[in-house]
Amino acid sequence: MTPVLRAIGLGHRYGATTVLREVDLAVHPGETVAVTGPSGSGKSTLLHCLAGIIAPAEGEVWLGAERIDRWSEARRTALRGTRFGFVFQFGALLPELPAVENVAVPLMLAGVRRRDAVATAAEWFPPLGLAGLEQRRPGQLSGGQEQRVAIARALVTEPAVVFADEPTGALDSATGAKVFSALAALTTRTGAALVVVTHDQEIAARCQRTVVLRDGAIVQGVAA
Amino acid sequence: MIRFSIRLLLAGGRRAALAAGLVGAGVAMGTLLLAVTLGALHGWDAREARTGWRVDVDSAVARSAVAEPVGTARVRVDSVAGRPMDVVDLSATGSTAPPPGLPRVPAPGEVWVSPALAELIRTLPPAQLADRFPGPPTGTIDDTGLRDPGELVAIVGHADPVEGAVPIAEFDRSAGITIIEGYRQLTYVAVALLLFPVLGLLGAAARLTAVRRAERLATLRLLGASTRQLTVVAVTEVTLVAAVAAVAGIVAEWLLAPALALIPLGGSGWYASDLRVPPLVALAVVAGVALLAAAAATRGMRAVVVGPLGVVRRQAPRGLRWWHLLGVVAALIVFGIAQAAVGTSGFTVVGLVIAVAVLAMFGVVWLVGPWVVRLVGARLARSARSVPRLLAGRRMLDDPRGAFRPLAGLTLAVFVAGFLAPFSGALGGDPEESAALRVGESVSVEQVQARLQERGLAATVTASRRGPLVEPAPGTNRDEVRTALVPLAGEPVVSSAERDVASAVLAADIYRGILIVLVATFLVAATSAGTTAAARVLDQRRTLRLLNLAGTPMQVLAAAQRVETVRPLLVCGGIALVAGLVCAAPIMSAQAVLEPAGLTVLGSVVVIGALLVVAASAASRPLLRSVAQDRVAD
Repeated sequence: MTPVLRAIGLGHRYGATTVLREVDLAVHPGETVAVTGPSGSGKSTLLHCLAGIIAPAEGEVWLGAERIDRWSEARRTALRGTRFGFVFQFGALLPELPAVENVAVPLMLAGVRRRDAVATAAEWFPPLGLAGLEQRRPGQLSGGQEQRVAIARALVTEPAVVFADEPTGALDSATGAKVFSALAALTTRTGAALVVVTHDQEIAARCQRTVVLRDGAIVQGVAA
Repeated sequence: MIRFSIRLLLAGGRRAALAAGLVGAGVAMGTLLLAVTLGALHGWDAREARTGWRVDVDSAVARSAVAEPVGTARVRVDSVAGRPMDVVDLSATGSTAPPPGLPRVPAPGEVWVSPALAELIRTLPPAQLADRFPGPPTGTIDDTGLRDPGELVAIVGHADPVEGAVPIAEFDRSAGITIIEGYRQLTYVAVALLLFPVLGLLGAAARLTAVRRAERLATLRLLGASTRQLTVVAVTEVTLVAAVAAVAGIVAEWLLAPALALIPLGGSGWYASDLRVPPLVALAVVAGVALLAAAAATRGMRAVVVGPLGVVRRQAPRGLRWWHLLGVVAALIVFGIAQAAVGTSGFTVVGLVIAVAVLAMFGVVWLVGPWVVRLVGARLARSARSVPRLLAGRRMLDDPRGAFRPLAGLTLAVFVAGFLAPFSGALGGDPEESAALRVGESVSVEQVQARLQERGLAATVTASRRGPLVEPAPGTNRDEVRTALVPLAGEPVVSSAERDVASAVLAADIYRGILIVLVATFLVAATSAGTTAAARVLDQRRTLRLLNLAGTPMQVLAAAQRVETVRPLLVCGGIALVAGLVCAAPIMSAQAVLEPAGLTVLGSVVVIGALLVVAASAASRPLLRSVAQDRVAD
């Protein structure tokens, strides 16, 4: 199967510190990949390079048949809004918007009419156990509910790849497990790939594949 | 804990120093403006103490008020070398302390002159100046008896009161209500007009570092600090920075005093020392600013809740309360009472009454602003079809007071412009100025012509109802004509414009004052808008960064910020403009705003206001970009 996302010889440094070296990685459609490793091992930098958030100093990043690592910042930003989905440690929802509008924002950014965007966004609430919470503000939701709204927001554009950076880091273990189950199930159902950066070995164990980084290099796991 | 807070402040590194510097700069500028207006009040007091006795007084008030006069005086307005000159005819009634600036009471026939006038007498031919006086100068008046170093004044001693002289109660104060009192009242109004914008700037500056403080407080909370201890840390930092900045503002005012002293008001410049804020007032200002900063910091703390895990969460925004509307009603009642009192209050308090009315209307604008923002936000959120509009509308609806904060300064500046525009309209026209010199009614045209012919001076002399009018021919020295005719007229020979120099000077001063207040208000407003916009970006930096990470283009974030500023400002500005015109209505016809000068002021305000909005919004855009694209933070 052709990988949806592929990194070839990725390298990056901050000043004199090398944070990524010679990283090769391929992610296939519908696959769930955990990226683990100790603090400072380069997990978040790898995710940022793969997602087009930063341009790597060395190597290549391919989305399908397109090489994206040399695209302009604006083009990469647009790519993140349409082809990628993101779930962060804290929901990172807009506090002023009701939950359903938070989910509708990526659709509106893609040019969908507001009414249609909100209607589509609302369809994601029942499968995530959020029915009835559409008009609540983020401040009125629990941490777990906020993360589920963030998952809906990440998936609403039907992206090719969902990136999750410590998605359960701010939740208790029981809630974290439920949230991750929802994330993995819905991502797989849409056919998207899921790349999860996590310290949590239980979360990593539930992914189809685990890549371990140390000092910026893959030391364990199938790279491609 | 206070010592610990100071250590935190000093050890915060470059970013902390930069933030403290920004807060300090805002506070220092606000304090400087406040100190300048307070310095002006001190200047009027000092000027009155030195020259109040000889300022042209309302004779009826003066006569009825003086029981045991120390003398009588008549002030005549003359002119030399194109500058106004006062000639005071003084007759002292007995042994008394001399007038300020003189070593003794002038004896009959003595002529005491200011140093600037002495210099002119020395340099100009006698026929142009010296011949107007009964003799050569006896001595010079020192600084303690002058308005400013350049004042042209002569005090001529007489044995008996001259015609038209008024009694002098004492030499160290005014005999009655003088023009200085009018200027003092106008200064009160100027203080009132600047007060709210300056307070807004102080508040904006104090809130600038609120988020950074909140993050630090979260860490301290994790370490077990109590709420009281957190409050001490939060308040100490801001209060310390504000107090130091306030001292800097006062020092700046003291240093700027020589430059400020060059601005003519009341017909002359100033002694720099007159404009410097007295030490006790300066202390009160520093204490007041520090207290205000502490209050702002405490309020800023309430905006965040530091949970037991040290997580900073935004508290649910505090909605608008019904009692705010009660405040509007109360402010309107105060305005109504003050407005009614303007016509009936005495001259010595009318400025204060207008100041109260202005402050009440300021209060209305301040309280109504967030409600307007809320309404605009609700409408925008309901009808938005794009993300920027939806974001802007929801933000306004979510926190109308926070959204109004960057606009408050500019809204108040528009209010000030609305208040002042009718005045500028009424004052802006060039008065018809007659250059012809008028000689007294008791003198005939023939006598004037004979005198001028005798002196070889060419001029056209015409008759008028109030005496002959003399128009010096081109090439004829105007001062020589005056000097030649003084013995004939028995009084200074000046044109009607020169005679009414006080009114002309007052009109010019008010116009100049309006421009100064407008410039100061808009400068404060721009600084305030920029500061608050930056503070809002910093408040939302985490959300903005993650939104950008998730693919929200920078243009969308910037557009949301623009919509959030421009839409409510247009509505608030319109309301403020009307409120300003209403506030000015009891004093000046609102139709005066349609005069060319009034329209110029209003037009300038619209253009400058729009430019400031764009500039303030643009100024925070690099910060927005830097915050949203910060890939290392967190």
